[in-house]
Amino acid sequence: MPIDKKQIIEKESAVVDGIELTADWNRMFEQRVMHYEDSDALDKVRDTPGAESIGYCYQCGQCVPVCPVDAVGEYGPFRVYKDLLIGKDLFKSPELWKCTTCMQCLRVCPKQVDMIQIMPAVREEAVMEGDVPEELQEAFENTFEYGNPLGESQRKRADWIQETGSNVPIMKEKKEADILWFVECYPSYHARGKDASAALAKILNALGTDFGVLGTEEKCSCDSQRLAGEVGLFEEFAEENIATLKKYKFNQILVTDPHALNAMRKKYPEYGGNFDVIHYTTYLAPLLDKLDLKNTLNYKVTFHDPCYLGRHNGEYEAPRQILNALPGVELIEMGRCREQSYCCGGGGGGMWLDGFMADHVSERLSENRIREAVETGADLLVVCCPYEVSRFEDAVKSTGNEGKLQVKDIAELIVEAMG
Amino acid sequence: MANENILVIGGGPTGLEAAKGIADLGYKAILVEKRDRLGGTPDAAGYAALTPDMRDAGEAMDEMRAAVENNPNVEVMLNTEVTASEGEVGNFTVTATQDGKEVKIECGAVIVATGFTHFDPGRETQKYGYYEHDDVITLVDAEKLLKSGNFVRPSNGEKPKRVAFIQCVGSRDRQIGNEYCSKVCCGISSKQAIEVRELLPDCKVFIFYIDMRMYGYWENEIYWPAQEKHKVNYIKGMATEIIRKGDHLIVKGEDTTMRRPMEVPMDMVILAVGMEPSEGTKQVADIFGLKKNQYNFIETIGGALNTVSTNVEGVFAAGACTGPSDLEDCVSAAGAAVMKSIATIRRVAVPA
Repeated sequence: MPIDKKQIIEKESAVVDGIELTADWNRMFEQRVMHYEDSDALDKVRDTPGAESIGYCYQCGQCVPVCPVDAVGEYGPFRVYKDLLIGKDLFKSPELWKCTTCMQCLRVCPKQVDMIQIMPAVREEAVMEGDVPEELQEAFENTFEYGNPLGESQRKRADWIQETGSNVPIMKEKKEADILWFVECYPSYHARGKDASAALAKILNALGTDFGVLGTEEKCSCDSQRLAGEVGLFEEFAEENIATLKKYKFNQILVTDPHALNAMRKKYPEYGGNFDVIHYTTYLAPLLDKLDLKNTLNYKVTFHDPCYLGRHNGEYEAPRQILNALPGVELIEMGRCREQSYCCGGGGGGMWLDGFMADHVSERLSENRIREAVETGADLLVVCCPYEVSRFEDAVKSTGNEGKLQVKDIAELIVEAMG
Repeated sequence: MANENILVIGGGPTGLEAAKGIADLGYKAILVEKRDRLGGTPDAAGYAALTPDMRDAGEAMDEMRAAVENNPNVEVMLNTEVTASEGEVGNFTVTATQDGKEVKIECGAVIVATGFTHFDPGRETQKYGYYEHDDVITLVDAEKLLKSGNFVRPSNGEKPKRVAFIQCVGSRDRQIGNEYCSKVCCGISSKQAIEVRELLPDCKVFIFYIDMRMYGYWENEIYWPAQEKHKVNYIKGMATEIIRKGDHLIVKGEDTTMRRPMEVPMDMVILAVGMEPSEGTKQVADIFGLKKNQYNFIETIGGALNTVSTNVEGVFAAGACTGPSDLEDCVSAAGAAVMKSIATIRRVAVPA
């Protein structure tokens, strides 16, 4: 590297303690910044309960190439660790909010550095200090106030049933059912979520399933809020939901949302809620031959594995079984599928951080995924997580692929086949 | 009355060295080997050259074999598997099947030298696509190619222009359950890298690593020559994925020193697979009631100062059946096991 001449300091003479030094000492480089390495930043994280495993990193770097955020920016647990080593405070850093808890890194990590534990633990502290991106804070407040992150009225949680003309019994009246359907927020309030809910209701009725929903008694499962650091909110809502669920008799909880599946399977037992919980694709896959699928569809489809259904809860087959059973549906897999599936960007609080993320990535994760889906030549992207329809539909527009690719919930596709 | 014969189980470098040692000291060794030939893994897997001295592996194994074959103090039993054991130190009766027939072996002490097996890179995760891509091979596959002198891409028979080694496959990995370092792979990869460079001077060779663990003389005997004389490129940072693009393999990873992502086209990728206990090691441990550690290697009980004694008096374990070992470890442990087994027999025969 060439020497920067401006860095050279030249003095007429150098005098130390009254003694003039030789001419060599008159000419010198500016002082370089020397770095003092300390472990304070790392200690602060690894001393946080739940975040201990950050200290296990032996810097192999395997987590970075699989990190979905790195594909559109610069991120990954190794980089988070390296920043800590050079003294950057994670608690106050934007790096704290980029992780979608998709679990790709943990899948390949030989040391099991567990970002699924580390992120919520550190974020919880930051939330308590008030160091939270504004839009995420708003989602937290909405959830706290209205029972859902969208800020919709709790009283209107079951309005979708009438709006869509669906036939859905309410547990408050029914008291007892084989299947308790936990609908969740986006499927209750979001326009495209309601479409999917109406479709699922139609399928359950066609199957003659004995089911009911909690209606206005249901509250957000808060799993994504938990992973985004609002652990207190999660606990409060978990206790409320568990108390409500315990009022009724049922055999199984059917969830639309893989994030609710995750909360109820992995976290609710800690609060005394031991339920048999099943995702709707897992429930429907073996029952498809009981449906009269008289319409032959004409679709080339590709399928996006939700992080919280696949990597987090091990279900890769059920959605594919369904797609393969639908007449006239040809499934083309994307390169990144199953265990290696890409992330829509909605998990771990990402659903409410789109504005923040825009400053840190070259494109949204959902946009990156849409490009991949379009590349397969499919005309339909099938999803089975309520975060995804809206995220991917937006991304289809913003990537200029309108008209080339549609996004549908798998339940909508089944209903189309039923005719 | 103690029986003065010593049974050696396993005809690899450790067992061969042990049998020879016993014979040299004037005792009788009974050497049983499951395969129809002596020489162990270096022979069975077709190793080309030994690490670190680059000696021809076939020639070295011939020499070890010659020392026990036709040796009046060594009885070699091929195609023989141990199935049961009775008795105690000084008087073991070991049952084995030889060519399908049951035989009884009387002995005063036993040296277990049942060795290791190479990690199967498709066992737990298909991270590197070993079973998908023809040009993704293991150190073991590479040894065979090097031995043939025709180091070519399995997919098309052409000479590779770019070859990558990926270290720590199946070692130092909590997910897989093999938390230990397999000890030899850094050296073997570097040795093979040198061999590839010698065979194909136009081929660029890269080694992707987490830490190069080249202890003692392996540093100056392999690592430095590989880098300085043979221009092998060492890149700190592991590959996570290998994808095929046209005729090439794309190695994706993170260069952790530069802190930047890398995507490097390669013609061949060699996975530096680690060591796991062999099936024989697990079976023989159970037959003799030897304690195994959490990785199923035989546990030696003497700590740093006694590397061959087990929980069963009179039964010693040496070499790679006790954990990852290089050849130097194996022959050293064989010597220690011979010394302790003979000392044990003599103590039982002539109580103090």
